[in-house]
Amino acid sequence: MSLLEVRSVSKQFGGLTAVDDVSFDVFEGAIKAVIGPNGAGKTTLFNILTAFDRPDEGRVSFDGTDIVGQPPQRIVRAGIARTFQNTQLFEEMSTHENVMAGAHAVTRAGFFGAALRLPWTVREEREVAEEARRLLRLVGLEEWADTPAADLPHGLRRLLEIARALATRPRLLLLDEPAAGLNTAETASLADALYRIRDRGTTILIVEHDMGLVMEVSDEIVVLDRGAKIAEGPPRLIQKDPAVIAAYLGEEDLDEL
Amino acid sequence: MGGTELLQFVLAGLKNGSIYALVALGFTLIYAATGVINFAQGEFYMLGGMLSVWAYADLGLPLPLAGLVGVAATAAVGGVFELGAIRQRKDGDPLALIVITVGGSMVLSSMARHLFGPNERPLPLFSGGGSVSVFGAVLEVQTIWILGLTALAVVGLWYLYNRTGLGRAMRACAVNRDAARIVGIDTRLMVTVSFLLAAALGALAGLAVTPLTQTAFDVGPTVGIKGFAAAILGGLGNPIAAVVGGLVLGMLESVSIAFISSTYKDAIALIVLLAVLFMRPQGILGRSSREKV
Amino acid sequence: MGERTIDIRTVAVLALVGALVFAVPLLTADRYLLKVLTFVGINVIIITGMALLFGYAGQVSLGHAAFYGIGAYTSAYVVTSLGWPWLGGVALAVAVTSVGGLLLALPSLRLKGHYLAMATLGFGEIMRVVFVEARGITGGPDGFSGIPFASVGGLAIDSAGANYWLIWGVAAAMLALAANLVRSRAGRAMRALHGSELGALACGIDLTGLKVRVFVISAALAGLAGALYAHVVGFISPSTFSLHASVVLVAMAVLGGTRSLAGPVLAAALLTLIPFADAVIPGLSRSALETIQEWQEDIYGLTIIAVLLFVPGGVAGALRRLSRVGRRWG
Ligand SMILES: Nc1ncnc2c1ncn2[C@@H]1O[C@H](COP(=O)(O)OP(=O)(O)OP(=O)(O)O)[C@@H](O)[C@H]1O
Ligand SMILES: [Mg+2]
Repeated sequence: MSLLEVRSVSKQFGGLTAVDDVSFDVFEGAIKAVIGPNGAGKTTLFNILTAFDRPDEGRVSFDGTDIVGQPPQRIVRAGIARTFQNTQLFEEMSTHENVMAGAHAVTRAGFFGAALRLPWTVREEREVAEEARRLLRLVGLEEWADTPAADLPHGLRRLLEIARALATRPRLLLLDEPAAGLNTAETASLADALYRIRDRGTTILIVEHDMGLVMEVSDEIVVLDRGAKIAEGPPRLIQKDPAVIAAYLGEEDLDEL
Repeated sequence: MGGTELLQFVLAGLKNGSIYALVALGFTLIYAATGVINFAQGEFYMLGGMLSVWAYADLGLPLPLAGLVGVAATAAVGGVFELGAIRQRKDGDPLALIVITVGGSMVLSSMARHLFGPNERPLPLFSGGGSVSVFGAVLEVQTIWILGLTALAVVGLWYLYNRTGLGRAMRACAVNRDAARIVGIDTRLMVTVSFLLAAALGALAGLAVTPLTQTAFDVGPTVGIKGFAAAILGGLGNPIAAVVGGLVLGMLESVSIAFISSTYKDAIALIVLLAVLFMRPQGILGRSSREKV
Repeated sequence: MGERTIDIRTVAVLALVGALVFAVPLLTADRYLLKVLTFVGINVIIITGMALLFGYAGQVSLGHAAFYGIGAYTSAYVVTSLGWPWLGGVALAVAVTSVGGLLLALPSLRLKGHYLAMATLGFGEIMRVVFVEARGITGGPDGFSGIPFASVGGLAIDSAGANYWLIWGVAAAMLALAANLVRSRAGRAMRALHGSELGALACGIDLTGLKVRVFVISAALAGLAGALYAHVVGFISPSTFSLHASVVLVAMAVLGGTRSLAGPVLAAALLTLIPFADAVIPGLSRSALETIQEWQEDIYGLTIIAVLLFVPGGVAGALRRLSRVGRRWG
C-alpha cells in the first residue's frame, strides 16, 4: 500500500525552481532512496514533506490524508519523523535525554500534571526513559546514554538523531544524508541499523550521496536533477539509466555508480 | 472645531512627530546594522539635551557651540557604548544584546543623575520667544527650529546613504551582512558608525526640544518608547518609514487629544505600537514578510 | 525525574536551606528585617516565573511589573472596595493576569524574533498609564491605601512573622511546582527549544504553544506575587510597577543564569536586598546605606551588562561549578 503519495510538488526560491513537479510513492515497509547531485532539491523536498517548508504547488498525502499546510508538530504526530543534513541535536542535554525529547509528540503529560507530579505522569516519564534506552540500544549508543550530545564522537551524532526520530514512533522515517562523515565501519553499522528499523515496521525514505549504501539498502530509488525527477526504479536499473549517468557526469559520484 | 484650531493641532503633531522621527531613525539605523532593538535610544535623546545644558550653563559656552558639543558628546557616548558593551558580546546573540541595551539605558540615566543632579534643567530658546502666525494658528519659532533641524537631519542622512561610500557600505550591511563582509566592507565599523549616528540623531532631538520642555535624567524612556513605536509603525529597518512613522504618530497623538481626551494621550503611541505589532508587524510601509517560526 | 535522580546531598542542602528560611521568625523579632525578607519572598515568586520564561524558554519580557501591578490592584480593589474575601481577591488576580498574559503572548509569540520584548514593553507602559489614570479603581498617582491584611476563614495574618511565613510558604510551593515542571516532559521541551529550534520541531514540539504557556505561567506568578504584596504592605502606588521595576526583574533573571531555578532565586534575593542592605548587614552606617541606594540603578544596569558579557552562566553557572567541586570532595 502507498504510505506516502507525492503529487506534482513544486517549490521556487526567487527565480530558482528547487523542486520541479515531482511525483512518487513510498510503499509501506520499503526503504526508498532519493538521490541527485548537490542542489538537486532533495533537502527542500524533505522540508516540504515534514512541513518545514510549504510547496508552491502539489499535493502530499500520508496514509490517505493531505498533509500540506499542517504545522510540523501535526506531521510528527501523524507519523513522519526526520533527521537533518546538519545535525540538530540538543547539545547540552544527555544522549538519553535527547531521545526522551523525541518522545514529546507521543506522550501527554501537561504543565499541570507535571508540576503536581501526578502518578500517571511519573509512570509515563518512566516508560519514556525505558523506551529511550531501548532505542539507544537499537542504534548501538547505550554506552553513551549519559554523555552530553555535544561530547559525542562525530560518527555517532547521526545515530543519535535517528534514535531521537524513532522516539516519535514514526511510520515513515526521513533520513537526510545519514552516512555523511561516517567511515566505512560506521556506514556498515548504519546499514544494519536501517534494516533493524525497517524490520520493526518503519518505512524509510533516505537521501544519501554514498552510492554504495544506497545501492545496498534501498528497494527503490528516485533520482532528482535540478529539482525534477529524472528516473525512478530499482537500484539495478537506476545504475544503468542513461539520464542518471548524464546527470552525474562531471560529479565525483560517477565512479561510485 | 474651527479650521484654525485644527491647524494648531496639526502643527503640534508635526512638532512632536519630527522628534519621534529623529528617535525612530536612531532605532532603525541600529536595527538595520545589527538586528538589535536599542532600548537605550531614549537616553541619547536625554543626553543630547542634558549635555547641551551642561556645555551652556556649566561650561559657559555660547548656545550654538554648546548644542554642537551636546550632540557630539552624545554621539561619542553612543560609540563608546557600542565599543565597550555591544561589541564585546562576541556571539552577537540579538536577545543578549537587546537586554544589554536595556541595562545600558539604566546606567546612562543613572549616570546623568549622578553628574547633573535630579532636577529639571532649562536651555534658552534658540532665537528668542517669538512666534509667527500661520493662517491664524500660532507657530513658535522654536518649533520652526525643530522642524528645520529634523528636515536637515533627514536630508543629511539621505545624502549620506545615497551619495557617499560610507552610506553605501552601511546599506550593503543592512541588506546582507555576510555578503558585505565578503566584498570587503568592515561590518563591525558600520555597526559602530550606526551607533554614533543614532546617538547623534537622538541627541539632536533632545537638544531641539529642551528649550521648550526642559530636560531631566529620566526623560529618556518615555520618548524612547514613542520613537520606538514610530519606528515599528513605519516599518523597522527603513529610514523613510521611520520618518513617516514618526510624523504619523505625532499626528495621531495630536488628533486624539483634539477629539478624545488628553488623559490617555501617552497611551496612544503604545496602543498604536501593540496594534501594529500584532496586526502588521512589518509596519505600514514594510513589505509583508511574516517570518515563519 | 527521568534518569537524573536527585542525589541525597541535594536533598540535604534543600532541607537545610528550607528549615533555615522557615526558622527566621523564630530567631529574630526584628520587624524591619522580617519585612525585607518578606519582600525577598515576593520577588522569589515572580522570579520563579521569570526563570522559566527567560532561562528555560529563552524569552525576554520588559513588562512583568505590569502583571505584578495588575495582580496587586485587582486584589486590592475587590477585597478593599468590594469586600471580597482575601483568597477570592488573590484567585481573581491570578485569573486576570493569566488571561492578560495569554492575550499578550498569543499574537506576539506567533511571530519570530523579539516581538515579545517589544510588545511587553508597550503593554507595561500602557498599564502604567492605566494605573495612574484609572483613579476610580487604582486611586491614581497617590496610590491605593487601606488594603487589609490577608485572612483565611476569619484568621487574620497580621503579624510580620505570619506574613513572612505566608509569603515564603507560597514561594516554596511555587518553587517546588516549578522544579517538578522543569524536570518533566515540558521542561525537557523547553531545554530542547533552547538547544535547537529545528530539532525541537522535529520532535513534534509546538514551539509557539510552549512559549505561550510559559509566558502565561510567568504572568500568573507575577500576578500572584502582586496580590500577596498588596495585602502585606497595605498600600500600593504606580511607581512600584514601572518599567524600571520590570528591568530590575530582568536583571534578576539575567544574573540568575539560564536553565536553573536556584540561580535566579539567589539573584533575586541579592538584588532585592541591595536597597535594604541595612536590614541584613548589622551596623551599616546611614551614609553607607545612602551611597548604596544612590548607586542601585547603576548596580542593576551594570549587573545586566557584566553578566551578559563576561559571566553568561550567572549565579547558576557558579552554583554548577560549586556542586562539581563539592562532588569531587564528597
Ligand atoms: N531557503 C532557501 N532559499 C533560497 N534557495 C534555497 C533555499 N533552500 C534551498 N535553496 C536552493 O534550492 C536548491 C536545492 O537545494 P537543496 O538543499 O534542496 O539541495 P540538495 O539536493 O539537498 O543538495 P545537497 O546534496 O547539497 O544537500 C539549491 O540550489 C539551493 O541553493
Ligand atoms: Mg541536502
